[in-house]
Amino acid sequence: MTHAGKLIVIEGPDHVGRTLHARLLSARLKANGIATHIIGLARSELMGEIVKSRTADIHQLNWRTRSLLYATDLHDQIKHEAEPLLDAGFVVIADRYTLTPRIREEVRGGDGDWIESLYANTPDPDAMIVLHAGPRRLLNRIMFGERLEALNHFESGMDLALSTSITSSFLQYQKILRQEFQKAGKKSSATLIPTRHTVEEVHDKIWDSVRPVVENMLQPIDGN
Amino acid sequence: MAKNGILIAVEGMDGSGKSTQAKLLYHWLRAKGLPVFHTEWNSSKIVKEATKKGKNTQRLLPMTFHMIHAADFADRWTQQIEPVLEIGGIVICDRYKYTAMARDGSRDVPREVIEETYSFAREPDLTLYFDVPVDVSFDRIAKGRPRLKFYEAGMDMGWTTDPFESYRIFQGKVSEIYSRLVEEGRIIRLDAEGTVAEVQSRVRTTFDKHIDLSSVQVIDQSDRLAQNLSESDIDWLSYSGGDGK
Repeated sequence: MTHAGKLIVIEGPDHVGRTLHARLLSARLKANGIATHIIGLARSELMGEIVKSRTADIHQLNWRTRSLLYATDLHDQIKHEAEPLLDAGFVVIADRYTLTPRIREEVRGGDGDWIESLYANTPDPDAMIVLHAGPRRLLNRIMFGERLEALNHFESGMDLALSTSITSSFLQYQKILRQEFQKAGKKSSATLIPTRHTVEEVHDKIWDSVRPVVENMLQPIDGN
Repeated sequence: MAKNGILIAVEGMDGSGKSTQAKLLYHWLRAKGLPVFHTEWNSSKIVKEATKKGKNTQRLLPMTFHMIHAADFADRWTQQIEPVLEIGGIVICDRYKYTAMARDGSRDVPREVIEETYSFAREPDLTLYFDVPVDVSFDRIAKGRPRLKFYEAGMDMGWTTDPFESYRIFQGKVSEIYSRLVEEGRIIRLDAEGTVAEVQSRVRTTFDKHIDLSSVQVIDQSDRLAQNLSESDIDWLSYSGGDGK
């Protein structure tokens, strides 16, 4: 199915800078005359509130139920937001798409092929970017952001029983996630970008991989 | 993997009487002292919340309707159904994946998609399809009800603006898919016309014909009695031989 618009996917673990870079990309596209819309996990009208307010309960569910709830959430955004906007010529930026919901269940023993089948009818990305960073860098960002106490059991992979310390569990869990993201990213020919550099440098790299896709839609700020 | 336990499903249109019969089947097996568990479609707590919201706001579309009901089923599958089968028990499912095939299929979700989503749910050892003429089930549901619910009537599909007419169209499609499943041998047709007792007698006959209970461990009578006692008020006097000591 071809759309007038484009779908740009940005994937990667928490605290890697995904949301910041999705916003920067969106701002730059808008400045260049392109209408944008950001979708992401747990943001649907249908499921967003429930997923956010019942996070702990959802983390307790088995991987199949959780996968189906996140699939419902994404399908709701695709049908009600992404598809109509893509048809209208928007650039839709997905701040996480189908990779995160698959990888984080796969590392917990979930069946990746089955999870992928739940997304069989979703639009293919026109460009996909996987952001990655070392586990310690992610942890440093959390500490500097004074959010260490908010680090939760699931997001630290404590349920995998890697360590009894939440920080060292986090480091080991993020190491596994990073490997999986890189593997999956390469497989789907995504652009892998480390976020250890400055925000501008990372943004420029993202722009380099997005630009070819939106080239003929751009209306430069300074005119022609 | 060895197939553990006995999995029974009942299917049929709203108003076919299948829930009444499934409960009677449950009480019959329970009266035999067998470890039996009964579970209903769309009853998992956390998922139900989301489904309710989607229905109230009329936001659910065929694909999200499909996914969210699968989430409910997956939750019950891992928390209730599979664990009981695992220990050799009997599970009665009031609606199973064939309901998704019938309802989501009527909403044009491709059959392959539905099969794949529910691929973790094995074929039951017996699936009874409670077959009543569409008119009969229609009357049972529509009679005495001022209005039908939006999704129940299939109003989301926009076939017609009249809920009762829409319901009839929807049930017609559902019935067609069930008939196809019968032809494919996935579900067994059971004549569901007649009194509750008549139908229950047919249910038991069909059950006996298809299911061998010899491998199911009966719960000891002492445990059943102890369980009953633990849930009742104890009149000590009657236990102490009447002298209260």
